[in-house]
Amino acid sequence: MIDGAPEIFVALEQSGFSASIRQSPWLYPAANVGHIIFLVLFAGALAVMDVRLLGGFAAIEPAPTLGRARRLAIAALAGMTLTGFFLFAAEAGHLARNPVFRLKLVLVGAGLINVAIYELWARRAVESLPAGAAMPAAARNAGFASITIWIAVAACGRSIAYF
Amino acid sequence: MRTVIAVAACAVLTGAAFAHHGWGSYDAAKPVTVAGPILTSKFENPHATITVRASDKTWTVTLAPTSRMISRGATQKVVAVGNDVSAYGYPSTVEKDEMRAERITVDGKSYEMR
Repeated sequence: MIDGAPEIFVALEQSGFSASIRQSPWLYPAANVGHIIFLVLFAGALAVMDVRLLGGFAAIEPAPTLGRARRLAIAALAGMTLTGFFLFAAEAGHLARNPVFRLKLVLVGAGLINVAIYELWARRAVESLPAGAAMPAAARNAGFASITIWIAVAACGRSIAYF
Repeated sequence: MRTVIAVAACAVLTGAAFAHHGWGSYDAAKPVTVAGPILTSKFENPHATITVRASDKTWTVTLAPTSRMISRGATQKVVAVGNDVSAYGYPSTVEKDEMRAERITVDGKSYEMR
């Protein structure tokens, strides 16, 4: 399956860095466990943000809830990116050709675009709302898209090994 | 409510995918036994792999993660180049001449890989 993969990924898989990940008895499993722990933190933070955007937790104004959850989400996403890179590097040439892995990357891109759209066009209005206010449609759409996209990302991630 | 529906739909979809794919892309309906000398051996994560010169062709045999191999007694020495191995497992439906071993036998001793 490594035949026909883009050269840069084949080179990465064949690098000393990737070999050391594969040959270490603990590095790959540690990256795997770390990826899941960061996933849990990321999903938890996202769930809080998305529920708030959909109109839940309305007893408190949106800004402090979203702000704290956002910080955790960013830290967890950084952790997932780092551990994910280790997992990817070990099998880069193979993963580059895996259809589910490719779909996962596209969905991650969609998730980040959704974040960018919200940040640019909805965040300011949302974070000035008082407690109990109805959420604007742009915020509800962003929350709904976020939940849908990131669950699909997680499902793809778990499915990579089966394709 | 929309959230609940979305979560439920995703859970159903992924559940169906997993139920169908059991042990990855290997055809459990066509088990094969690959026997012969070990030509190459990579004792690496996520799975150790060996190539085996069988009577019909050279097979790539996917084994288990190294920590499991070691805990089952199938150390790097057991799957070293030159040893004779017999691997029972399932052929890949994706990669040519690759199979995943359910168990291997070396020197009369069997090691479970699952």
